[in-house]
Amino acid sequence: MKRKRKLAGGAKMGFLFALPAAVYMLVFIGYPMIQNLILSFKNVDVFSFAQPQNQKFIGFQNYIELFTSSNSILTKSIINTLIFTVGSIFFQFIIGFGLALLFNKKFPGCSFFRGMTMISWLLPVTVAGLLFKFMFASSGGIINQFLMALNLIDAPMEWLLKPSTAMVAIVIANIWIGIPFNMMLLITGLTTIPADIYESCSLDGANKVQTLFKITIPMIKPAIMSVLTLGFVYTFKVFDLVWVMTKGGPINSTELVSTYAYRLSFEEFQFSKGAAAANVLFLILLVVGIFYIKLINEEEESM
Amino acid sequence: MKAKKLAALALGLGTACMTVAGLGMAASAEEGKKEVVIWDYFETDAQKQMMQTLIDGFNESQDEFTASHTYVPFADYEKQLTLGIASGQLPDLVILDGCGMASFIQLGLFGDISDADINWDEYIAGPLESTMMDGKHYGIPFATNCTALYYNKDLFDAAGIDYPNEETTWDDFREMAKALTKDGVFGFGNAATNTDEGTFQCLQWLYTAGGSYTDIESGVDAYTLMQEMIEEGSWTKECVNWTQSDVNNNFMAGNIAMQQNGPWQIPGIEANAPDLNYGVTVLPKRNADAGQATSILGGENMGVVNKEDMSGAKAFLQYYDQTDVMVEAMKLYGSYPPKTEAAKDSYWTDDPIQKAFLTQIETSIPRGPSALWPSYSSAIQTGFQEVMTSAKTPEQAAADTQAAVDAIG
Repeated sequence: MKRKRKLAGGAKMGFLFALPAAVYMLVFIGYPMIQNLILSFKNVDVFSFAQPQNQKFIGFQNYIELFTSSNSILTKSIINTLIFTVGSIFFQFIIGFGLALLFNKKFPGCSFFRGMTMISWLLPVTVAGLLFKFMFASSGGIINQFLMALNLIDAPMEWLLKPSTAMVAIVIANIWIGIPFNMMLLITGLTTIPADIYESCSLDGANKVQTLFKITIPMIKPAIMSVLTLGFVYTFKVFDLVWVMTKGGPINSTELVSTYAYRLSFEEFQFSKGAAAANVLFLILLVVGIFYIKLINEEEESM
Repeated sequence: MKAKKLAALALGLGTACMTVAGLGMAASAEEGKKEVVIWDYFETDAQKQMMQTLIDGFNESQDEFTASHTYVPFADYEKQLTLGIASGQLPDLVILDGCGMASFIQLGLFGDISDADINWDEYIAGPLESTMMDGKHYGIPFATNCTALYYNKDLFDAAGIDYPNEETTWDDFREMAKALTKDGVFGFGNAATNTDEGTFQCLQWLYTAGGSYTDIESGVDAYTLMQEMIEEGSWTKECVNWTQSDVNNNFMAGNIAMQQNGPWQIPGIEANAPDLNYGVTVLPKRNADAGQATSILGGENMGVVNKEDMSGAKAFLQYYDQTDVMVEAMKLYGSYPPKTEAAKDSYWTDDPIQKAFLTQIETSIPRGPSALWPSYSSAIQTGFQEVMTSAKTPEQAAADTQAAVDAIG
């Protein structure tokens, strides 16, 4: 009897502790989200913005037009975003994992070099974008100079001028920015593996490759899954890098959902369509987010 | 002891700050003047000096209002205005790009000031039209300009060809550009980036070819010229990512022999490349029988934000409406006054470079005006980029852009 009352008191305290976070979420995340959802079902554009009486609910029309109208590039921007995200994450992860394994070994200057690799993560993204824009310039850009000096190409590549290579260029820039994020999370994972496990498997005669695939990777699976899902979310909503490097061009070949939503709302004043495009982005990330939460819960249960 | 001293010092400083702040408030309240806040996106020293001179002049000319200005970065400008309309945090006057005004009138940002005491009939028609909607006035043009053709005299002399002039046709221009393209120098470059800045420069070619912003297919010759010159290498392909300052930087560095650009680049050239031997003339015309090429009007408008009391903003416009005030400001700014008579000041007419721009302005037209201009601009610029990167043939790009433009209206 006494014990039960204590629990109830504990639950009350729990709610009390959760209250600030809940209020914060409601005000700063819940409210804008709901407003945005409502806006996306209306017809607010340059003509009806100043006349609330002309703002009407039009159901899913904005969404339908975004997906079917010939002037809309939403489908194209979703495909672009997927290419951008998968391309970035694949290389970020592999390189980040390689560096994590390297810096997990103790060698002279290890912590210094590990610190140095963080620079690309600390640099403001707009600065990194500008640097890469200069480096990828067709005439005088260091990347072309370098490739030509190595005789890999004869004439300067038009990196940011051709639709296909512009996407490659922004993916390369984003890989460079994202490597430290992958590396640091994976190093944290690696430090949780007790040294005696490695000792015992080397006594059992396991070679390096076997150790990597049978011990290291399974042991840090939670860290790997976190890196991949968080990386997906961060990359999928990238805006500043692309805005600085290409503004979505040439010919919309690097238009991402985020830049397209911004363009609709703040350049073309199609507020409702912009809100709808942003909601499509949100929906895709929501699915990834639910997947991530489910994953974490499974890991916690299995522990 | 030391800690105590520090604390005392901090306390003292704090009190001093509060006192100063208090005095500041008292001072402005004491004068009892109404405030007029102006937003602008002026970045260069010359532009800032121009604004300060204007504001000082206005504040001394009367004792009812005090004007001040706030800088908002150009990249954020339209976004800040849009957010301002939603939140109500707005200045009294806004200086903005002329082609954006129609959208913001439609968005309800500006108030009707048709009753203000302004000499409306002295203004050049194109810029004035961009401050109006349905016959009502929402502000006045602030500065006007257009792009023309800059050429590097040294590079022309080295190649042994005559400078371009008012008789230069597209064919002549193409031959010149071809002859100048060598040793890492491109004949010509302009700004064709994926924003309205690109549309501003590219659109004139379409108009000169006989098209308009709603009739793309009649201007298909412009597409053909661009694509062929870029394929020849005489018009740099790099321009699909170039802004107008990128173009000017490359012109100053001698990477391009001719550039399309506006008069606001002149102070920058004088400061950064004082030895550059260059001239300016009107843009090339379609052919020998055609009239002078069309250019696109640029420049800023001053719009009066819709408030209950717009008297301060109107007073500022009336101050600026005086021809001599306007002329002095525009000399500092590097643009032209939007009044026909004011632009005839000897400061401009005696200078061959400035005079070339004034000649070009005579055949310049505004973008739009349309509240949907941003959508038109985006569709049109996609067309130019498709042609310049050879993603589509001129005919295909014209048909597709025409369809995109038709879908907007």
